Amino acid sequence: MVNFSYSSNLQGSFERPDGVDKVTANLKFLTDLSFPNMLYGKILRSVYPHAKIISISAKNAEELPGVRAVITSKDVPGLNRFGLIFPDQPVLCEDRVRYVGDAVAAVAAETEEIAEKALQLIEVEYEPLPVIDDPEKALLPSAPQLHPDGNILHQASYQKGNVEEAFQTCDFIVEETYELPRQMHAYMETEGGVIVPEKDGRITVYAGTQHGYKDRFQLARILDIPESKIRVVSSPMGGSFGGKDELNIQPYGALLAIKTGCPVKIHQSRRESVRSGLKRHPMKITMKTGASRSGKILAHQVRIIADTGAYATLGPAVLDFAVEHAAGPYIIRNVHVEGVSVYTNNGVAGEFRGFGGNQVTFALEGQMDRLAAKLGICPMELRKRNLRKADDPGPVGQEIAPTDGAAQVLKAISQSLLLNNKEKREESTSQWKKTGIGVAIAMHGGGLGFGRLDPAGGRISLNEEGKIEISFGFEEFGQGLLSVIEQLAIKEIGCSSNDIKITIGDTDCVPSSGSSTASRGTSMVWHALQRMKGPFKKRLLEKASQCTGVPVDQLYLGPSGIWSCESKTEPLITYQQIAYETKDDPIQIETEFHFPTTPHSIPGGHYLYSFAACAARVEVDVLTGIVRVKNLEQSVAAGPVIYPTGYLGQIEGGSVMALGYTLLEEALMEKGKYVTENFDSYLIPTINDIPLSMNITAIEDLYEGDEYGPRGVGEIGTVAVAPAIVKAIYDAIGLWVTKLPVSREEIVKAVNQREMKEWLTTKL
Amino acid sequence: MADNKIVEKIKSPLEEKIKISLVVNGQEKELLVNATMRLADILREELQLTGTKVSCEIGRCGACSVIMDGKLVNSCLVRAYQANQKEILTIEGLGMNGLHPIQKAFLEEGGFQCGYCTPGMIIAVKALFDQYANPTKEQILEGLSGNLCRCTGYGGIIRAIQKLTES
Repeated sequence: MVNFSYSSNLQGSFERPDGVDKVTANLKFLTDLSFPNMLYGKILRSVYPHAKIISISAKNAEELPGVRAVITSKDVPGLNRFGLIFPDQPVLCEDRVRYVGDAVAAVAAETEEIAEKALQLIEVEYEPLPVIDDPEKALLPSAPQLHPDGNILHQASYQKGNVEEAFQTCDFIVEETYELPRQMHAYMETEGGVIVPEKDGRITVYAGTQHGYKDRFQLARILDIPESKIRVVSSPMGGSFGGKDELNIQPYGALLAIKTGCPVKIHQSRRESVRSGLKRHPMKITMKTGASRSGKILAHQVRIIADTGAYATLGPAVLDFAVEHAAGPYIIRNVHVEGVSVYTNNGVAGEFRGFGGNQVTFALEGQMDRLAAKLGICPMELRKRNLRKADDPGPVGQEIAPTDGAAQVLKAISQSLLLNNKEKREESTSQWKKTGIGVAIAMHGGGLGFGRLDPAGGRISLNEEGKIEISFGFEEFGQGLLSVIEQLAIKEIGCSSNDIKITIGDTDCVPSSGSSTASRGTSMVWHALQRMKGPFKKRLLEKASQCTGVPVDQLYLGPSGIWSCESKTEPLITYQQIAYETKDDPIQIETEFHFPTTPHSIPGGHYLYSFAACAARVEVDVLTGIVRVKNLEQSVAAGPVIYPTGYLGQIEGGSVMALGYTLLEEALMEKGKYVTENFDSYLIPTINDIPLSMNITAIEDLYEGDEYGPRGVGEIGTVAVAPAIVKAIYDAIGLWVTKLPVSREEIVKAVNQREMKEWLTTKL
Repeated sequence: MADNKIVEKIKSPLEEKIKISLVVNGQEKELLVNATMRLADILREELQLTGTKVSCEIGRCGACSVIMDGKLVNSCLVRAYQANQKEILTIEGLGMNGLHPIQKAFLEEGGFQCGYCTPGMIIAVKALFDQYANPTKEQILEGLSGNLCRCTGYGGIIRAIQKLTES
């Protein structure tokens, strides 16, 4: 018997529709595809983090045998820019590079080796420019301007009451600056795919993304061809976590495929991926929080500086999200939040699971723990005293769907094994190892928020083969969306899994459903099926009634077909038979709607929220500074569970990704260049780094009258972990960590400075 | 530019090929390949066995794990000449006669999400059980520490192994 303890209240195991193909590797990822006459593409990226391009000469590369095309900015027929919010990133730089991932040329050749060699033969003459490697330097008046409108990408703020006056009345004030690192998504499949020119003049883009239609829109703009000429096949993917939401290799593959008339495969190496790919925004967050003696928080002031890197992508939205969540689930009368997202010559920061919430929640929960210590009250109690009630407005004063999630998760975590097992708390494996426990909570908005185009939709039909075909414009990148669709369809329609065909991730075959981001997939599938199931069932039953003569009210949908109240062993009429009967007028229902938003006009303001509480127990080795998370528990309130294995996997996987964020991960840059270029120096958790005891509790009850169904859980499991671990470190050795990833040197230094004494007394 | 002068000296990819023979998933293969071609590329490109994945290319992630003459190796670090006369087991060879118990356990316990590390991970679990019929906690952690999974947090993988050790 193996000594691990992984438990949860998530019961019921269903085989994933993509499961067998994944464990046997029959499943072809888009980077596994190959086509006849396929060429290999490579992208030449900038040598400098900031430089003028004086000249580019591709002559030597073009003459290399086996090279079929070299492209530079001159070869972009349409808009030489991309970007999800506004296009400011050059596909191929004309005269200036702003980060080491900037593309200056690309090559298609008969082999990957030749393409690689050709890149080295392209002569680019640069004139290096001063490098802005820090957002605070970028804000200095003397800083070079990286974009026409300066170095500020976006500013956002929220204010209520008067913090200055309120601080005067506070008995206790805590002020701290928190620093959060540049985290890499580290999806195991790096960016890649194949772009195929088709005989009919169209192109097919087989490349992972989190929003196929958006890729199609951006590519049409770049290639200057109608969207109808582009088919984007965007699923499956070997992980994304937000990182493949923006365009990556698609424009280069498409330009090269069109120029050569051949399929072009590009699959970035890990180094290329690190260099060019998005990261989580490094943020510096200063919070000043004041409370009365009784533990009522009276004022909360927040300043956020985000390093957005060279280009915009979703940077503005990430900052809006951070500002929105700066007071989290707490009701504070006086709040002032100011955020600024700043261009630098560092790698591009953008969309990443948690979307600005991780950074700001780390700071907020750090404040709660520091305040509780100052006030001398239990940190859980301080949170409870200031927690939102079900009918309270959202964190920026907006109307939200009433939810008791904050209180639910706090209550659940207070009943956790970890917080109720005193023996475990004190258990330590050596005198040099000190243990501690920390708890934190998080609130997280779903969907893109107010004022953002956030359409959703789906289609359900009875296809020619008699399968109930359910189509969404979503992508499967591991999160288990296929299972969610299948389980919901079985439940809402009444058929069996054998009756269903699911189609996703192919713009030629699916309706627009919006992006597979922002914890919206599960939620939108549920909403779509609620809208479509009635009309779809009605049409099937009417047809069945017409064919069999049995009245509609005695019929229902079941496995394999339509059953009557009297049918016992087989359906009265099968789906195949109905499909045959309706072949001239197939049954098909489509729906289009918008993700539910708050009625208040707050840019990006959310309406649906999920909640999590995390308890962590750590063991700190005071000789080496190594922190090990021994136990981790999370309780999550996100509505009904659709696919228990997937839900559990999201929370466990999110927890471990956040453990990496807390203790290990930083895509370190020096003077605009990556120091960590691969998994030898950028360390993500291995199986040896994880807690050997985890417990996940899903709270399924929605607030009375809530009609919005299940919320997605893709992000919420990543948010509360870092502050819980850091509080546990304080509990163990009396050190308040303000900077992630937690530095071993800092721990050893702190322990040495206090001659290993003070923490023994500060602990209680 | 100085960079380009160095570049000009770089020779074109080696044209010389060597003949190797190896047994892949029980089938004998004779191939004419560059002596330094990576085993991962031989599998994926010469033999169209794309189940073996490539992710870091420096032997740190284990996505390309295969079993070579009974030992777990990163196929991105094995060159053609080193694979000559060797017997290779890839993910495609594991489930040839229906799902292997390891594959079943991964399916039932959520031992994967995106599926990209999965072939290498399952092969590493196979190597673990080949070595220890009833592995201890330390043996499991050691045996799988070379295989990165970014999705699951390893919970489902551990549950799958627990299931296998219990049966």
